[in-house]
Amino acid sequence: MRDLSESRSHFLSTLARADAARIKTAAEALLPQLQPVEVVQSRSGLVMLPLRDTVKGCDFFMGEVLVAEARIRARGAEGYGMVTGRDLAHAMAMALLDAADAAGLPETAAFAADEAARHAAEDRATLCRIEATRVEMETF
Amino acid sequence: MAYVAARGGERAIEQAERLYREPLGEIDAKRVAGIRQSLPWLLDRVMGEASLYDPDMAALALAQAGGDLYEAVLLLRAWRSTQPRLGIATPVTQETLFTHRRISAAFKDIPGGQILGPTLDHAHRLLATSVLQGESLAPVPVEPASQPAPARQPSLAAWQRVEGLVANVLRAEVAPEDIPDITRQPLLFPATRAHALQSLARADTGGVLALGYAAMRGYGNAHPTVNELRLAEAEVMVRHPSGISFSAGRVRVSQAEVTTKGKGGQLDLGFAATFGWNEVKVIAAATLDLNAAAAPKGSPVEEEFVLYHTEPVEASGFCIHFKLPHYVTFQSALDALRDAKAEVWEEADSQTETVPA
Repeated sequence: MRDLSESRSHFLSTLARADAARIKTAAEALLPQLQPVEVVQSRSGLVMLPLRDTVKGCDFFMGEVLVAEARIRARGAEGYGMVTGRDLAHAMAMALLDAADAAGLPETAAFAADEAARHAAEDRATLCRIEATRVEMETF
Repeated sequence: MAYVAARGGERAIEQAERLYREPLGEIDAKRVAGIRQSLPWLLDRVMGEASLYDPDMAALALAQAGGDLYEAVLLLRAWRSTQPRLGIATPVTQETLFTHRRISAAFKDIPGGQILGPTLDHAHRLLATSVLQGESLAPVPVEPASQPAPARQPSLAAWQRVEGLVANVLRAEVAPEDIPDITRQPLLFPATRAHALQSLARADTGGVLALGYAAMRGYGNAHPTVNELRLAEAEVMVRHPSGISFSAGRVRVSQAEVTTKGKGGQLDLGFAATFGWNEVKVIAAATLDLNAAAAPKGSPVEEEFVLYHTEPVEASGFCIHFKLPHYVTFQSALDALRDAKAEVWEEADSQTETVPA
């Protein structure tokens, strides 16, 4: 059960982080198979972001993050998307892929796997650049 | 309170606004994108003080304000109030941060090692005047290491607790919807820790620097050493309607722990964090947090003094309101001054009259 929720979490996180142009193209390609699509919600708004202080363990709000959110119904399934920023089309594309995944369309898994591989490569490249700044301090 | 009616002011006000905006020229998406690309550290500062994370909106605010930081923060705070609150993310913890920079000035051999990350700390600061003669300044590319740095690391305080260097904390679990929030509650003193840290996260960088620097120079009761300074990206973990938690994206955050030798044979710690990468702010703010507990009443590091005077919109708004017409209040002061002078003259006259010839 935990593996299933972790893999769903990873799937949704990957869609949210996906390249905006690519996920929109993927959603458009899936659209004919998802008809009729009912848009329940498409809006921007704010999500409060708390952080845990390391001294007393106190959770406090750092501020609000602008997000775009979409909810749809398609082929008897519900789809949900939320992404940081104000790209409503990205959130809608995410919701469409989420609904497609819930409806059992196999294309979504391939798209998510491709995107996840890109993200892993991006993160690795970033961390290799960061590792280049490691220092060993010596005192005399 | 008295009010002043201005006649014929509408046209003057409109022309004054035009005079302000006209030199800024046409603002379009290209200019906003240019600001976002070229001024990321400034955007971070503005997003932190606005306590609204969105680089596009911050770039737009800076474009509209012509770079006036207080105007930009005001625009963002005002715009934020028009947006619905859709939820509360899962609290960010240190070990989940995608870390770009993590250093300690107190301990050289920290678990995970010292990672400088993006910094000019050890670089020469030279103005590239040749750019003004037509040359371009191209950055030298980074030479990546063959292996990646560890993305996620616990806080240094967590390691110090294991070593017995800092006191253990008994934290009370608070549901995200019950975390105190100064955008919906008044700031009262003594402030809750959540209110104090939220206020510092939103505080004016220059304001906390001035007071933090005062504390460092001796006007405080604790001198700081940077225990850990971290620049990172935090996942914004939100909930799908099915209840599954996922990341809607990453935001840049900075945090600092500062330390000093405590009275109980352990280290005392101060903490601060903010949106964006803003080292000066979090080091100064953490210093103020470190000083707050034992601060004498009325000192520049006392919590009430610090939090009231570093709120950027209130402080800048109060300051600039003094340029607005105060004719009636000032007239009253002037009348009092004239009355006092008249009394002095009358007294002098009467004394002159009583002097024997």
